[in-house]
Amino acid sequence: MLQIQNLHATVGGKEILKGIDLTIPDGEVHALMGLNGAGKSTLSNVLVGHPAYTVTEGSITFNGKDLLAMTPDQRAHEGIFLSFQQPVEIPGVSMTNFLRAALNAKRKYQGLDPLDAGSFLKLMRERRKIVELDAKLTSRSVNEGFSGGEKKRNEIFQMAMLEPTFCILDETDSGLDVDALRIVAEGFNRLRKPETSAIVITHYQRLLDYLKPDTVHVLIDGRIVRTGGPELAAEIEQQGFAHIVEGAN
Amino acid sequence: MDQYIELFQSQRAAIESNAPQVLNSRRQEAFDAFCKLGFPTEKVERYRYTDVRTAFDINYGFQLLHDTSATVVPNTYATLARPDADAIVALNTMLAQDVVVVRVPAGEHKVHPLQVRNITRATAPLLQVRRMMVIAEAGSRVQIMLDERAESDQDYLTTQVTEVFVGAGAEVEIYDIEDTAARHRRFHHLYADVAEGGSLTHLAATLSCGMTRNQTDVRLTGRGARALLLGCAIADARQHVANDTLIEHVAEGCESNELYKYVVDENATAAFAGRILVHEGAQQTRSNERNANLVCASTARMWAQPMLEIYADDVECSHGTTVGQLNDDALFYMRQRGISEAEARTLLKQGFAAEVIAEIPLEALRPRIHSLVEKRFRSCEECQLCTNKQP
Repeated sequence: MLQIQNLHATVGGKEILKGIDLTIPDGEVHALMGLNGAGKSTLSNVLVGHPAYTVTEGSITFNGKDLLAMTPDQRAHEGIFLSFQQPVEIPGVSMTNFLRAALNAKRKYQGLDPLDAGSFLKLMRERRKIVELDAKLTSRSVNEGFSGGEKKRNEIFQMAMLEPTFCILDETDSGLDVDALRIVAEGFNRLRKPETSAIVITHYQRLLDYLKPDTVHVLIDGRIVRTGGPELAAEIEQQGFAHIVEGAN
Repeated sequence: MDQYIELFQSQRAAIESNAPQVLNSRRQEAFDAFCKLGFPTEKVERYRYTDVRTAFDINYGFQLLHDTSATVVPNTYATLARPDADAIVALNTMLAQDVVVVRVPAGEHKVHPLQVRNITRATAPLLQVRRMMVIAEAGSRVQIMLDERAESDQDYLTTQVTEVFVGAGAEVEIYDIEDTAARHRRFHHLYADVAEGGSLTHLAATLSCGMTRNQTDVRLTGRGARALLLGCAIADARQHVANDTLIEHVAEGCESNELYKYVVDENATAAFAGRILVHEGAQQTRSNERNANLVCASTARMWAQPMLEIYADDVECSHGTTVGQLNDDALFYMRQRGISEAEARTLLKQGFAAEVIAEIPLEALRPRIHSLVEKRFRSCEECQLCTNKQP
């Protein structure tokens, strides 16, 4: 369970989050919607401990532990995964070495032995299929020469490898065509376990049609101003945010 | 200066009584040049970045070799490496006692790479004077690996002068890999002449060192000659690595490519100076020079100096250099996946060097250098007992 209380955060000295309260129980998917600049990506960056963001007030606990006291890699080991809005290209670092380092770091944290080379490659082959990622791509450097859609698929592939329990999908649907969106969304659904929870940041209804969120939140100017069921996403798709913004002011 | 002049004067008779005649015939001229030039200061353009005197100031011992007078030394000895052009070459020519000669007869293709391994170990400070000649006759092919290692508990100074004659249509690959220690100083001068249709590949890999300066001068003197110069340097602690290259396009239709990459960290200082000189009449020259550097700490220093001088009008030349830091976005991306900061930094540095390794024509060597590079980064960031680190 993730619990956020009265969270305030700044970036470059400017306050973006102005008191967020949000609880996401195990197994639930929550959608986060809102205009650009409302603070959606700031919230996801704060959750994963990006060094450019400073928390000035409030708390975040994950499964009862103080998330803000942990380094980004510790948070990852605890099960938090961010599907980046813009995945980073890392020339010279192969997907294989990158994922082996990530997976074995997590196993070490859990007190497990590193996975041997054979088992690791077998796991890669299996998980690759979930998002229909070409073997040619996993033999390249991380995200290098990947198309926009391939990068997003690669994010879900990494999720498949690392088996997180809390996922943040930050505009994972942006830049995806209809087929790729289906592959990514269905891949996510197949990977979900009963205890997996998620925050899905999106502007569009389509991704939510696949992921079927339990709860939808609307973030305006650093605060959650409305919370509802899946019907709230449909309402926004039809009417936009204007009436919600007016209602909030 | 004085210790070397004294050394020569006191040991000259002993050196000459055992050394090949060809070597003896060049000593006086080398001595005169050395006295005239003196050790290069930072005012000498090609030595701007390396503090030569700190390397030579130590009181080194010098070992006399047994009789080497039977070594067959080609008469082209010291014709590419001219003693009057460089004081350290002059010093080397003054004191040289033997030459490693690799001669490949015309048309012969060496199937296996030839490996020359130098392991330096002594109980007192030691000066080494090494000399090598590679003569690849027309249409021959040879791959040579130079492996330089040294123990970490003593002061060493190594000067090496290598002369490479690449005959018409011959192919020579030289892989010079240094993995020495903090108290090892090395000056390697390599001079090559590439004849018509010949090709030279040279890699200077500095994995670990104390102070290293590699000078690589290549003359493309025959039509259609080619050169590929690769460099990969890793420096941290108080290490110093300088590569100074000169590629002269003398004949028409020659091609040169150059890629040097550095990873510089902690208090290391490093330099790359690469000059391409296209002579008048060297039409249809193609030349590309690239130097990229990763500076991982604000205390580390990198000087990069690409130079292109063109006296012909029908040429295709490019050069570029970059100095950058570890990519913060990539670091964070890796940490979000659970990779520790130290490991992420190591992976990024290795990844940076990987581009040079991928260019090595001798495929079997690539995995070996990969693993040496990996070992290098891991041993110095994670091992508390690493002997290559100075306090």
